[in-house]
Amino acid sequence: MTGAVKIRRAVIGLVTVAALYAFASEIGRGRLPDRVWLGAHYVENVQLLPTWRSLAEEGTFLIESGILPSSVAVSTRRVMLGLLLGSVAGILLGLLTGWAAHVESLADPWVTFFRYTPALALLPLYVVWFGYGEASKVLLIATNVAMITLLGAQHGVRGVPRVYLDAASSLGAKRWLRFRKIVLPAAFPSIFASVRIAAGLAWVTIVVAELIDARMPSLGYLLALSGAYPRVPSMLIGIATVGALVLAFDLLALLVHARATRWMGRAG
Amino acid sequence: MKANAAPLEAADVSYAYPGVAPTQALQGLNLRVKENEFLAVLGPVGCGKTTLLRIFAGFLRPTTGSVRCAGSGIDGPGRERGYVLQEQSIFPWMTVRENVEFGLLAQGLAEPDRRRVSDELIQLIGLSAFEAAHPKDLSAGMSKMVEVVRVLATDPSILLLDEPFGALDAQTRTRMQDALARLWERRKKTVVFVTHDVEEALYLADRIVVLSERPGRVKAEFAVGLPRPRSLETRFSGALLAMKRQVWDALVS
Amino acid sequence: MKRRRSLLWVLSLVALIATYALVARAVSRPDVLPPAQDLAGAFAALVGRGQAPAAGGEHQHHHHSSDQVDTLLQEGVTLQASLAVSTARVLFGLVVGVPLGILLGLLLGWSRRADDYLHPIYVLARSVPPLAFITYIMLWLGHSEAHRLIPIVYAVAVTAVIPTYHGVRDIAGKYVVAARSLGARGRLLLAKVVLPAAAPAVLGGLRYSVAIAWMTAVGAEMLMAENGMGNLLVGGGMWSSRLQTRSDPAVIIVGVLALAAAGWAMDAATRLVTARLTRWAR
Repeated sequence: MTGAVKIRRAVIGLVTVAALYAFASEIGRGRLPDRVWLGAHYVENVQLLPTWRSLAEEGTFLIESGILPSSVAVSTRRVMLGLLLGSVAGILLGLLTGWAAHVESLADPWVTFFRYTPALALLPLYVVWFGYGEASKVLLIATNVAMITLLGAQHGVRGVPRVYLDAASSLGAKRWLRFRKIVLPAAFPSIFASVRIAAGLAWVTIVVAELIDARMPSLGYLLALSGAYPRVPSMLIGIATVGALVLAFDLLALLVHARATRWMGRAG
Repeated sequence: MKANAAPLEAADVSYAYPGVAPTQALQGLNLRVKENEFLAVLGPVGCGKTTLLRIFAGFLRPTTGSVRCAGSGIDGPGRERGYVLQEQSIFPWMTVRENVEFGLLAQGLAEPDRRRVSDELIQLIGLSAFEAAHPKDLSAGMSKMVEVVRVLATDPSILLLDEPFGALDAQTRTRMQDALARLWERRKKTVVFVTHDVEEALYLADRIVVLSERPGRVKAEFAVGLPRPRSLETRFSGALLAMKRQVWDALVS
Repeated sequence: MKRRRSLLWVLSLVALIATYALVARAVSRPDVLPPAQDLAGAFAALVGRGQAPAAGGEHQHHHHSSDQVDTLLQEGVTLQASLAVSTARVLFGLVVGVPLGILLGLLLGWSRRADDYLHPIYVLARSVPPLAFITYIMLWLGHSEAHRLIPIVYAVAVTAVIPTYHGVRDIAGKYVVAARSLGARGRLLLAKVVLPAAAPAVLGGLRYSVAIAWMTAVGAEMLMAENGMGNLLVGGGMWSSRLQTRSDPAVIIVGVLALAAAGWAMDAATRLVTARLTRWAR
């Protein structure tokens, strides 16, 4: 199958979905209820399935008014900060515990505790410790990311084929050199895969954290606010924006991976 | 089945692997396999031998030219062309017996009938003690022989073997070659055997076809006149050695 | 060697607990790092039958009649009930989501054509965190159980696609070739070759699905439920008044520990089942 065929089919698939939605929103216009019960009262005039047109209008409004860009900026900043902090901590710890078995046994109970706790569960605790605001959110993401990348780094180190290390030893390489030149490159794919997964989960975490502690501007706040009115087109655009950001991070990760492994040669 | 039609025939076959820069694996290849002959296809690494076998097996369609099986076009894989892959493809989740019986299961045979066939074949390769074992308990050589008899169980008229013994060590390989020779001499079939090992080709085959480097086409052909049944004596015979030199020259020139 | 490792593990655990106790004592701020007794007390209060501890009664620290504990107890929330409810949601999500994910993964992995058309849509779908659209679903379904369960099922399904896809596409390939040359087709091929070949990858990925299910369930409960562990952690009360309840860290820590225990148990069970089912694998 050549690339051209694949692209054509992909486009057909996406266009079909978009068309189906347009169709559904047109039918929905007349038929869907436009009153929504919000727990205490009814709200009128709610478009449950906004048309593409109204989505476009809303999107333009959100962008031009600066609401969307600032929300994106705030949330992205938090995610990136959390990713950075978390992966540095997680990778270092993971490399250490993967390499030195004794250290691993020492660290294990801590790792296990954090590993089996769903990250979001720690949010209330972090709020108690660090108050509402940036710190608790960024640290929550960092914790989650650290956990995932720790496991990835550990797995990567442990997965290095013994033969490579033995070969290096017999060539006279000392422990540190072996670590730097053999273990690290061999562990890279696993580390990188875990960073990618962690990035996805970081977004999940930030969205929920921002929904619970919604203060402007942030994507979670946008979602919460548009949920409160409710203003469906904003909500859907907010949701789509989150999705787009997750996708962007993921594609970026893939790109970096491809680049990195290219000048590293095929790592195993 | 047309009378006098060759069991397998490739006419002016070309195959190009698709992609950004298509790789021409085969170009203008002509080959006619004779009934019940053991044909070895010899060639350097990357010359398209596996591609040719996959085309015969029905998993690839030639870009140009045609392939025929017993006179009719090849339209996908089929029981009559048993195919043993180069990679290990014994089913790890089944026992040895279940593996051997798989083709018969696909045919819809009842248990006692399947058992009869698998009993005989498992005994033939001397693995009766392992009939209930899983592949993880078998050596690579044993697994490969199971794959060979698995394909024999459905009694195909044509056998396509892709460097089956390539991954084995020298001694195991020799033993496996003997076992295959015995098997074939017992129940003659048309065999197309791909290899890059000249001695293996000479030991097993009636005829050797040498492929050129990529893109592959038939470069040379040799009739192997060595007496059957082949034995250890054959391996060290002067006749084999003389042929070996000729074939080797054809291969590397 | 193994014994020394387990010893270190136990020592480390003890050290963890001891460190906590010491730090809590040193910091001496029971509203941030509750001492061990508070944790025990909170645990007891939450496990009891929803009775508020008697005023003054057995506990010296009136800390336990914290806002959070009171609110929860008033609503009859107990630790075990919350855990049970959350577990039920997780199991539902797994039971419905995993087969859905496997089906989709099978389709995408098996048919190049379907993969070409549908994979981009799948990528878009999996990029949206299900908890992001929980508020949208609420507009359709109101505050109902379905509205909480759908994100969990969605998250699980989307996660289960990946290992299935990989298992069918990358792993099962050569076995399918061998099987087809043996005359296998259709249902036999699927049941006896494709599925078993992909099974180790699929089952291996199950652990991720379990983890995602827990995360989504707790998140959904924190946002939109009056029961379950998520609800317990944010202190009960209705959605709008959640932030008003002053959080009691003892409750949260107890809750988190309980969640960790439940998560560990389910993960261990998954690992056991996986090992049992793939005994033939090397």
